[in-house]
Amino acid sequence: MLREMRLNIRSKIAIGYFLIICCLGVSIVVVTDRIASLQEEIETITSHDIEVHNLIATIRYNAISMESSQRGFIMTGDEAYLKPYIDGKAQWEANYNSLYQLISNNPSTQKELEEIKLTIRNWIATAGEPTILLRKQNKTPEIIKFYTEDNGKKSIDELREHFESLSNKQMEWTKMHILELDNRNKLLTVSLYVMLLIVTAVAFLIVSFVSGSIVKTIKQVVKTITEIASAGGDLTTRIEVKTKDEIKDLAEATNKLLTSLEMQNWIQTKLAEVATMNQGINDLNTLAQSFLMKIAPILNATHGLFYIRKGLGGKEQLVKIASYASYGDDAGRSSFRLGEGLIGQCALEKRTFLLNQLPGHDVMITSGLAQAAPQSILIVPIEFEGKVEAVVEFASLESFTSQHLKLLEQIEGHFGVAINNIAGRMEVERLLSEYQVLAEDLQAQTEELQTQSEELQMQQEEMRMTTEHLEEQNLYAEQKTKELEKAKKELEIYSEELKQSSQYKTNFLANMSHELRTPLNSILILSQLLSENENRTLSPEEEGYARVIHTSGNDLLTLIDDILDLSKVEAGKITLTVDEVNVTEIPVHMKLSFDPIAEKNGLSFYVFVESDVPDLLHTDGQRLQQILKNLLSNAFKFTDKGSVTLKIQNADPHKIKELLPSHDTGDVLAISVTDTGIGIPSNKQQLIFEAFQQVDGNTNRQYGGTGLGLSICHEFTRLLGGCIVLESRPNEGSTFTLYIPSMQNRGKELLATAHQEAAATASLSMPAESSSTGCSLFAGKKVLLVEDDARNVYAIVKALEQKAFVVKVANNGKQCLEILQEESDFDLVLMDIMMPVMDGYEAMRIIRQDPVMKETPVIALTAKAMKSDREKCLEAGASDYISKPLNMDQLFSLIRVWLTKQVGN
Amino acid sequence: MSSHWGEDDTELEAHSQDELERIEMNLLLEGIYCAYGFDFRNYLRSSLRRRIYYRMNLDKLPTITTLLNKVLHEPDYMDKIVNDFSIKVTEMFRDPSFFQTFRLEVVPFLKNYPEIRIWHAGCATGEEVYSMAILLKEEGLLDKTKLYATDMNEQIINTAKKGKFPLKRMQSFTKNYLQAGGAKEFSSYYTTDDEHALFHPSIKGNITFAQHNLATDRSFNEFHVILCRNVLIYFDSVLQSRVHDLFFDSLAPKGFLALGNMESLISAHKAQYEDFNPTERIFRKINR
Repeated sequence: MLREMRLNIRSKIAIGYFLIICCLGVSIVVVTDRIASLQEEIETITSHDIEVHNLIATIRYNAISMESSQRGFIMTGDEAYLKPYIDGKAQWEANYNSLYQLISNNPSTQKELEEIKLTIRNWIATAGEPTILLRKQNKTPEIIKFYTEDNGKKSIDELREHFESLSNKQMEWTKMHILELDNRNKLLTVSLYVMLLIVTAVAFLIVSFVSGSIVKTIKQVVKTITEIASAGGDLTTRIEVKTKDEIKDLAEATNKLLTSLEMQNWIQTKLAEVATMNQGINDLNTLAQSFLMKIAPILNATHGLFYIRKGLGGKEQLVKIASYASYGDDAGRSSFRLGEGLIGQCALEKRTFLLNQLPGHDVMITSGLAQAAPQSILIVPIEFEGKVEAVVEFASLESFTSQHLKLLEQIEGHFGVAINNIAGRMEVERLLSEYQVLAEDLQAQTEELQTQSEELQMQQEEMRMTTEHLEEQNLYAEQKTKELEKAKKELEIYSEELKQSSQYKTNFLANMSHELRTPLNSILILSQLLSENENRTLSPEEEGYARVIHTSGNDLLTLIDDILDLSKVEAGKITLTVDEVNVTEIPVHMKLSFDPIAEKNGLSFYVFVESDVPDLLHTDGQRLQQILKNLLSNAFKFTDKGSVTLKIQNADPHKIKELLPSHDTGDVLAISVTDTGIGIPSNKQQLIFEAFQQVDGNTNRQYGGTGLGLSICHEFTRLLGGCIVLESRPNEGSTFTLYIPSMQNRGKELLATAHQEAAATASLSMPAESSSTGCSLFAGKKVLLVEDDARNVYAIVKALEQKAFVVKVANNGKQCLEILQEESDFDLVLMDIMMPVMDGYEAMRIIRQDPVMKETPVIALTAKAMKSDREKCLEAGASDYISKPLNMDQLFSLIRVWLTKQVGN
Repeated sequence: MSSHWGEDDTELEAHSQDELERIEMNLLLEGIYCAYGFDFRNYLRSSLRRRIYYRMNLDKLPTITTLLNKVLHEPDYMDKIVNDFSIKVTEMFRDPSFFQTFRLEVVPFLKNYPEIRIWHAGCATGEEVYSMAILLKEEGLLDKTKLYATDMNEQIINTAKKGKFPLKRMQSFTKNYLQAGGAKEFSSYYTTDDEHALFHPSIKGNITFAQHNLATDRSFNEFHVILCRNVLIYFDSVLQSRVHDLFFDSLAPKGFLALGNMESLISAHKAQYEDFNPTERIFRKINR
């Protein structure tokens, strides 16, 4: 019963205080009572004692005054003396009674008093009355007699003693009483202390109970709150309080707060979930779908639709873009106009619709097993900046709670922003991709235009050239037509003749080769047979003739082969067979072939092979041998005395660079044939490599031979990618050096290819030749050379003038500017950088400030190789740079580039 | 009311005109594909349309169908069309900042490779691949580099092989070279004749020129760098995505892909590359 009773803190404290006050009151009452009774007793004792003593004194006085009055009377007999006696006799008994009554509580004193009464009576009876009577009777003797006996005195003494003891007794009694009072007093003090103790105990108990009951609950509350706080916001815990006081109120309030916090927290969590869900989605449909999938379970909704506002102006519509747990496409209408149906109305009014207890069964919530009609439907607008962006509809089998509504309300705002963001992003992306497409298209168009303009320009130039040509040609056309016709006829005849003669030549060569070889073969075979003289029918002399015939025949065959070879080379019909040639075998072969000749002619034949010469060489071995044999036989032929030396060594790299510029890798052999013969005068040295040429007509007669040998050597060497160098002094001898490269990587190649290569090599190694045509571009072009080094000036001017440039020279920047001020029509400026007075940078800077000279190509000639120097040149306004020492070909290429009119600029 | 109908009519007419042109273009492209194997079907229609009309204008042809007729019956005419369709706009060190960036940022990575393979897809007349060769030579990498330059146009490849560029463009090439941070003298790489600058064989030596059609052919090697600049702009999204697949398959792990300054990765590949230098459109394949 008590437990259920509400005991708030105030009443607890009040009860406590009340109890203490009660205790205090009780003790005060007790103490006062005790003090009052004590007081009373003290008063009793005091007044009683005083009265007793007074009465005792009165009685004593009565007794004494009776005795003295009796004595006075006796002596005097005067009756006046008798009066106190009579008064005393009348009074004392009354006093005695009073006293007796007064000391009734003290029997021992009472007994003493009774003794005193008896004594007084005894005195009166024995002494007082009889004497008085005797006196009255004047019986003096008797009286004397009496006093002699004096019985009365004995009574008086007795009385005195009695009084004495009575007083003492009374005194003792009083003392005893005071002692008793003292004890009582002590008792009171003790009991007061006891009281205090009890009150203190009670107060302590009350305090501890009240404070305990308050603090305990507060602690409980605090503990729970701390727990909630430390548990990281686990808001599910509730404070439990068993008491029914204000703490309980506090706890209940706190619990309420927690509940609301929990709800808010739940809303916030869900909000956050929805918000995080929005991240990374950049497509409205996905967003809507994931929104429904997120929200529907939270709301316990079993069906959901998402409508988005689309269209502009009057054609705004709400279009369904996502659904939750719908089946088929017919779940829900796919679009609403503004104000149409609840969806449209919701969008129009920006109002939430909550429909409970739906009567119809239009929408069914379906699972695999069951179908049910929804209990309630919730339609919520999603706004952004006061505009409805979307409408969401949910259906549920249960009712939607206020918490759900609150959550939706919160989400709405956030989600509106998300929708807007994503819509914005989608728009931006769409625009971006549109821009991208446009940009690409633009680029494509630009390039196309560029192509077209280039094509147009090309066509234009071609047209202009054609027009010029046409005009020119038109002038001569008629003239030429006639000439041409004439020439044509002549040409036809010529060509006919040419064809014929070439046919003749071919036929002749073929015939000759066949016709000559056949009889020659017979001669050779037969002469050999003869010279072998197996039958021993010939004399040694005849044997010798036969050998001569054989040898001469062989010579003739060689000659024929040579002619054929040469014509084949000229016709481009020769095949090279490139293979590994054993270099060490060459001297052996040559020795074998030419030792006999040397011996015969009385000449020494030396063969030297350098030790570092490679063993193998890739080339056509047959042709190489042919060349060497030709050279050697030539040497022997033109040497009367002395020696012929064949020397094989590696070619000097410098020589290779000089002679075979196109050659980059691999070995090059230098095979030299030196004789001590008649030599060749320098003016004939070129000539002898041409067919059918010899040093002079006499040579022919003196030394014989057709003069084909060297030209064949020359042609073959060229085919093999090498060259022949001749050093000779008349009457001292000649040295033919054959430079022959290894054709390592080529394998078998046709002559035609070799031919082309040779041609290409020629054009590359002789750029001066090809550039001779470039003179047309250079001719008459004005070049200003700014250079202070006289040697450079000389070399460059010379080279430029050779190309028909008009060159002017300035020795420093200042001079250059002076010249340019006079005539600014230079086509090109070559500018040295480091010059006295004014350097090239400064000069170029000033030149570029002149609008006339802005576009004139200025080429910096810099001796420094650092990139920064070059950058400085360009900064100063140079069009290009070239570093010193100048490579003339490079310079001309550069000039050609900068003198060519550019397209597109 | 009547005017309203009239408007609809013209609209309808314009519509059918467009439709007709579309059909004709489809036929032309299909015809070219069937007859010659050149697949322009996924080229950007707007660009092709301009090229077709350009050709029709030049040759005074009334309709695309007549052009188709000519294409099918005169094989030589096809060469013209291929030339028309392949845009040959290129120059040496085109977009100098790209080459500058390549030199400063990509080359340091390439230096670590024992052998480098670079593919110039859609090289046209080869200016870009020669530029790259010069750059690599200056960086000392040319000897260990194999450059593959491909284009679908055989004729253009043959031009490119020559390494011969008109003098009248050389000044701008020189400027580009200098702007791209060229380290030597540009003039030291060529000789000249009357009309052309001829690049030295040492530059050409490591370049392999070959015909390769991005629209139909497959990957032929694994490359450390693929350059395909201003080629994809002529392709529609289908072909672009095909080519991007091809590039992705052909790139070595951590390989570089360089695109033109208007081009970008398609979304399907965005995650597979890191933006190495977005300004110059250099992307790097993420190693996976």
